[in-house]
Amino acid sequence: MSNSKSPLRIFEGHQNFRLRIVLATLSGIPIKLEKIRSNDLNPGLKDYEVSFLRLIETVTNGSTIEISYTGTTLIYRPGIIYGGSYTHQCPNSKPVGYFIEPMLYLAPFSKKKFSLLFKGITASHKDAGIDVLKWGMLPVLEKFGVRECALHTLKRGSPPLGGGEVHLVVDSLIAQPITMHELETPIISSIRGVAYSTRVSPSLVNRMIDGAQKVLKDVGCTVNITADVWRGENSGKSPGWGITLLAEMKKNWCLFSECIGDAGDVPEDIGAKAAYHLLEEISRSTAIGRGQLPLAIVFMVIGKEDIGRLRINKNQIDENFIHLLRDIKKIFGTEVYLKPVNDPESDDFIATVKGVGFTNANKKIA
Amino acid sequence: MEQSNKAHRKTKEKNTAKKKLHSQGHNAKAFAVAAPGKMAKQMQRTGDKNERKLHVPMVDRTPDDDPPPVIVCVVGPPGTGKTTLIKSLVRRLTKSTLTEINGPVTVVSGKHRRLTFLECPADDLNAMIDVAKIADLVLLMIDGNFGFEMETMEFLNLAQHHGMPRVLGVATHLDLFKSQSTLRASKKRLKHRFWTEVYQGAKLFYLSGVINGRYPDREILNLARFISVMKFRPLKWRNEHPYMLADRITDLTHPGLIETQGAQIDRKVALYGYLHGTPLASNPATRVHIAGVGDFPISQVEKLPDPCPTPYFQQKVDEYQRLKMKEESSTSTAATTTRRRKRLNDKDKLIYAPMSDVGGILMDKDAVYIDVGKKNEGPSFVPGEEKGEGEKFVTTLQNVDKTIGENFDNVGLQIFSNSAELHDVEDEQQESSEEDENEDHGRSQMRKPRVYGKSIQEADEDLDNLPSDDEIPQHEEIDFAFGDEENGKFGSESESENELNGQEEGSWERNAAGKLNVNINRKRKWDIGKLIYMENVSAEDCIKRWRNEDVDDEEGGDSDSDDSNEEDFFKKKDENSSKESNPKQTIDLEQFVPYFDTFEKLAAKWSSVDLIKNRFIRSAVERKASSKATDVDHPDSNEDEVFDDFEDLEAENDGELQNNAVDDRDGNESDDSFANFEEEEKKALTVEEERALNAEKKEKYLTQFELEEGENFKEDDPDNEYGTWYELQKAKMAKQLEINNTELDEMTPEQRQRIEGYKAGSYVRIVFEDVPMEFIENFNPKFPIIMGGLLPVELKFGILNARLRRHRWHKKILKTNDPLVLSLGWRRFQTLPIYTTTDSRTRTRMLKYTPEHTYCNASFYGPLCSPSTPFCGVQIVANSDTTGGFRIAATGVIEEIDVSVEIVKKLKLVGYPYKIFKNTAFIKDMFSSAMEVARFEGAQIKTVSGIRGEIKRALSKPEGHYRAAFEDKILMSDIVILRSWYPVEIKKFHNPVTSLLLKEKTEWKGVRLTGQIRAAMNLTTPTNPDSSYKKVERVDRHFHGLKVPKSVRKDLPFGSQIHQMKPQKKQTYMAKRAVVLGGEEKKARAFMQNVLTLSKAKDDKKKSKKADQRKERLKKLAKLEEEKTQKDKEKRKSISHMRGRREVAMTTMKDRAERGNRC
Repeated sequence: MSNSKSPLRIFEGHQNFRLRIVLATLSGIPIKLEKIRSNDLNPGLKDYEVSFLRLIETVTNGSTIEISYTGTTLIYRPGIIYGGSYTHQCPNSKPVGYFIEPMLYLAPFSKKKFSLLFKGITASHKDAGIDVLKWGMLPVLEKFGVRECALHTLKRGSPPLGGGEVHLVVDSLIAQPITMHELETPIISSIRGVAYSTRVSPSLVNRMIDGAQKVLKDVGCTVNITADVWRGENSGKSPGWGITLLAEMKKNWCLFSECIGDAGDVPEDIGAKAAYHLLEEISRSTAIGRGQLPLAIVFMVIGKEDIGRLRINKNQIDENFIHLLRDIKKIFGTEVYLKPVNDPESDDFIATVKGVGFTNANKKIA
Repeated sequence: MEQSNKAHRKTKEKNTAKKKLHSQGHNAKAFAVAAPGKMAKQMQRTGDKNERKLHVPMVDRTPDDDPPPVIVCVVGPPGTGKTTLIKSLVRRLTKSTLTEINGPVTVVSGKHRRLTFLECPADDLNAMIDVAKIADLVLLMIDGNFGFEMETMEFLNLAQHHGMPRVLGVATHLDLFKSQSTLRASKKRLKHRFWTEVYQGAKLFYLSGVINGRYPDREILNLARFISVMKFRPLKWRNEHPYMLADRITDLTHPGLIETQGAQIDRKVALYGYLHGTPLASNPATRVHIAGVGDFPISQVEKLPDPCPTPYFQQKVDEYQRLKMKEESSTSTAATTTRRRKRLNDKDKLIYAPMSDVGGILMDKDAVYIDVGKKNEGPSFVPGEEKGEGEKFVTTLQNVDKTIGENFDNVGLQIFSNSAELHDVEDEQQESSEEDENEDHGRSQMRKPRVYGKSIQEADEDLDNLPSDDEIPQHEEIDFAFGDEENGKFGSESESENELNGQEEGSWERNAAGKLNVNINRKRKWDIGKLIYMENVSAEDCIKRWRNEDVDDEEGGDSDSDDSNEEDFFKKKDENSSKESNPKQTIDLEQFVPYFDTFEKLAAKWSSVDLIKNRFIRSAVERKASSKATDVDHPDSNEDEVFDDFEDLEAENDGELQNNAVDDRDGNESDDSFANFEEEEKKALTVEEERALNAEKKEKYLTQFELEEGENFKEDDPDNEYGTWYELQKAKMAKQLEINNTELDEMTPEQRQRIEGYKAGSYVRIVFEDVPMEFIENFNPKFPIIMGGLLPVELKFGILNARLRRHRWHKKILKTNDPLVLSLGWRRFQTLPIYTTTDSRTRTRMLKYTPEHTYCNASFYGPLCSPSTPFCGVQIVANSDTTGGFRIAATGVIEEIDVSVEIVKKLKLVGYPYKIFKNTAFIKDMFSSAMEVARFEGAQIKTVSGIRGEIKRALSKPEGHYRAAFEDKILMSDIVILRSWYPVEIKKFHNPVTSLLLKEKTEWKGVRLTGQIRAAMNLTTPTNPDSSYKKVERVDRHFHGLKVPKSVRKDLPFGSQIHQMKPQKKQTYMAKRAVVLGGEEKKARAFMQNVLTLSKAKDDKKKSKKADQRKERLKKLAKLEEEKTQKDKEKRKSISHMRGRREVAMTTMKDRAERGNRC
């Protein structure tokens, strides 16, 4: 029985690529990803996925990654999360948010403190922008006991050429996430936001803010959107602009939305769009937005062997959520129990999760 | 006559304590502390005592409701009376006599408590290690005549490093003492020795002689009572892992397979036992470790009815059944009052010891085996010739006239008494009964599981799960659907015939149920909780079914229809879903930004925010205000103010001060100020109302406690209701446990099992595939079988860094890379540790041997384990190799896990100079090629005498020689040393101790120790002659005496005068003798004299000349000096002259300027 390899967990397709790699790394279970874009004209892994794998290889010790000749099959045997300080050059096809987001799952459970410098694009239409990560995702981590965690924007870099620099520092290495209970929908106390621009006229920023404020004027709480204009060499290589809105709730929860402008867009419209997205997000979520949900659920799953509870909106149960839960089930074997809340007025659910009793074994004892 | 009474006697004025206390006119105790110092001391002492009682707060994950039996291990050297003790205790607790103790014996000892007695084999170290890991209570048997033996000490040390269980000492053979005084003295000695080993005041029982093969009843009663009230503290390792002590084992391999393929094939084995520790995960392929066998994935788990339930549990079952009966018949049954019982009923005194064959009955999942006695006692169980009532009962069972199907019929009717469609099922049911020919007739009694609160609900659950279908479902299809859903039960099971029966029965029941519920299912809403985990339904499909979007009823059932089919179905989507045109693209963690409607739609939707108005702070305020009092109107508005129940007075002020610009433009003056309003209300409050309000507040605090389960909840708050940090932690844990229980209780048993797993206390059967045949063939019930669950970390292999110390009782120090058997976690394995130390944290340096008395670090390859896990190491486990010394070689704790580690050992390269210039030297014999030199260019070198240097460059000519530069000139006799660090590889060796696979379980031999190999092969230990210590031979060095010149000597003070011998007064012979020269010698002397005279004259001449010259020179110098002084004088004179003139000029100028000013 010596050294018998535990069997691979097999996944198909390229969806949830990062999540699967992250879950495998956390659990230490080797996985096999098959049929990665096997029917695509351009089959196999994309450059950013390879870049992500390389990043995983640097922050872990002893992980092996085998990619098939066509790139459509991948076997990943995770090592231990090591941490340390590195610089990662992100490809221009994906923004830094694509790479930072999965690092948030791993960073608190490493052997050494994480200090990663990401270089590349800092905003895009599809992936998390740095403001969202900083103001929207880190508070979620804080809820699970990861207190000393910071994201410093050194340079902003808009697509297509990028040139931004972001520094992720996670100083608190925790043994276990705290068991979390959130059974209420907290009240939104204020709306804040950041409108930024790089290498374009600052007037655009103010117009965006106006557009957003016009939509949000009736909500009935403070709306405070900051203008953040980047000039000189810290503003990257390309012109760009965008807005991130944040609904701050009681008990330090928050919801967010972000939009970036392309050439030819009207700034007011982008501001308004972000505001509408925020309102939509508020209507579709409880304490946790759709973007934060995977992070929260995963941290609840890897918690102590106690039951944690989280209120979620009916609308949050979508395909993404199901895929997330199925992947978690496949790797950790844990199921999430959903039950409707007692309140007849709302159709929210309480997601009940029993932690797997995961502990950060990587850290050295004093 | 007058009555004469005794005269009244006045009470004696006694100076009582009370009076004394009141001598000052008041109660002295009431107003002052009599002895403040003493009181302070007392307080200090109580405080200390209380503090010493505290332990690190730890969650106890053993369920309170129906805890698993307490594992009581009886440990001791051979012949100390372990079996006798167990027999006596069992006899005491159950009134049954066991002839032989094989495997664990579970007995009921109280209303809530069961005990599992386990006898630890005396002569097996492996078993001792395993037992130390699972024992809740250890009965440590000590022979009173011998005191503590090696085994006892070893066991105590093992137990200590696997989380010390409770230990009760039991001293036996005390009747062998002749005199009472020696007995007393040895008792005392034993007790004190025991205290030093366990803890001060640990309980030690004394058992005197054996009567009727048992210990005296009174003493056993005391012991039993002590055991049954004992409390246990949770231990860390057991609080994190599920584990099981197997009390039964069956080989489920198909006999045909063994016949056809031989006895060597891997077996399918079922272990039975009570689960302990944390719940065992219910998902398939969970890997567990069977101590002494290896790691195996679980292929199937099944919860069985408890074979030895506690009276409390049985009572609950009875109550539940009564309730059920009442519900079914809706007739009022005679209410039986449950009276409190002081002692156990004889009926409740159950014993369960399947390996020991209690009463000749052995129970299986679906069969009961009755021991029919010895073969030579004549035939028994022959129909018509029964020997007793029991046999008659069995023989009547054998010829039951009903088929098994009819039996099931009854079961079905019991559950679905009002069903009419039950008869439809018969054909299938018969078919199933035909399938298995080897029907076991005796089974029907045992199969009815007496599980509390489960059977009915589970059946309901199964009904719910059934996919709806219009037609009468095909048998296979249903099965398939089930296979998916009952993941908790680990898929299909059909290997052995016994299994088959169970499966058939289950599916039959479900079939019937499915048919019954067709109508119900059709209208039923999909439960999202189940849909999510139905792997054969795609995610989009899940959502659609759940939202009742477009899936018609026929679609719902055939979950196994292929994808293309489904896609056809989904063509007709409303525009809402068609927007997600390419679902594969959107279903991705890859896309962070979630899906939103188009801008226009959103703009239309959110033209007003009324929909989510209540989510924002001000509107929440408005809502509450309007609901409470609409008539109260106050002019000033504070929309911005955060509404909070607790701030009322400040809010007012703040509200007036603040006036937010954003909200001002709304201009809703009508908004009333909450502060004022609240204040107004407060005035009107009566005391009761205020109390109610306070109660509400308190309630809110409590819920807050529940909600904010944060790490430092209330820790910053100095005046929380918990006095100490400890109490707070305890309260938090209790709260979390309560949450767990309430949440789990809300689920149905099936869901609960999926979420929680199989919890501790349940009796389970765990099936393993591919178990080595030796496990079964060489099975011996005397040796405990322990199954331990593994965490994900523990499945991986890597390098463990540990802090390790040689056990102080182990005779020898340990050698690096010598095999060591470690007991780490559940596992026992042999590995090759490398002992290291850190050189002030710059490098990890290998040590050849462990230090004598301190900790060192050890790195070894093996299965990983979370840090801070303690472990023990032994060098040999085989009994034949045991020498009688203390076998536990090392103890330690895991510090860190990694996949690689950098260990170096010191390597000194030595060279010799062969040519030395000033600070440069040419060095030979250190390297053999220029290439090697190039690798070390710039390296620091050093001579033995401590002169430091550097390697400069390889020399071209003699290969391997190089030029080096030193800080000083070195000597040819110097040796040049280059100190380097050579990496040491850890050998990836891991050899699990598979002792249970052996015929002789105590004789497991792994890799031999270096010493053992040398001894076996008759080799001498290789020694480097340079390393051996030789006698140091130092040559005595003679130094010349100190010579002080006469001129110096005569100036020295008296005290410092060098002591000298007095010149000899008496002339020696040499001085005395008269020498008469002659011949050659005379000539030579004369010649020498001439020469010397000449040279002296020459010298004199030279000297006088030199003196003259010197005189001349001095004269010249004096002259020069004089000239020089003259010159200086003149110079000085001129300078002072000049200075004087300048000063005069300056003053005149000043004067002039002053005068000018004045004018």
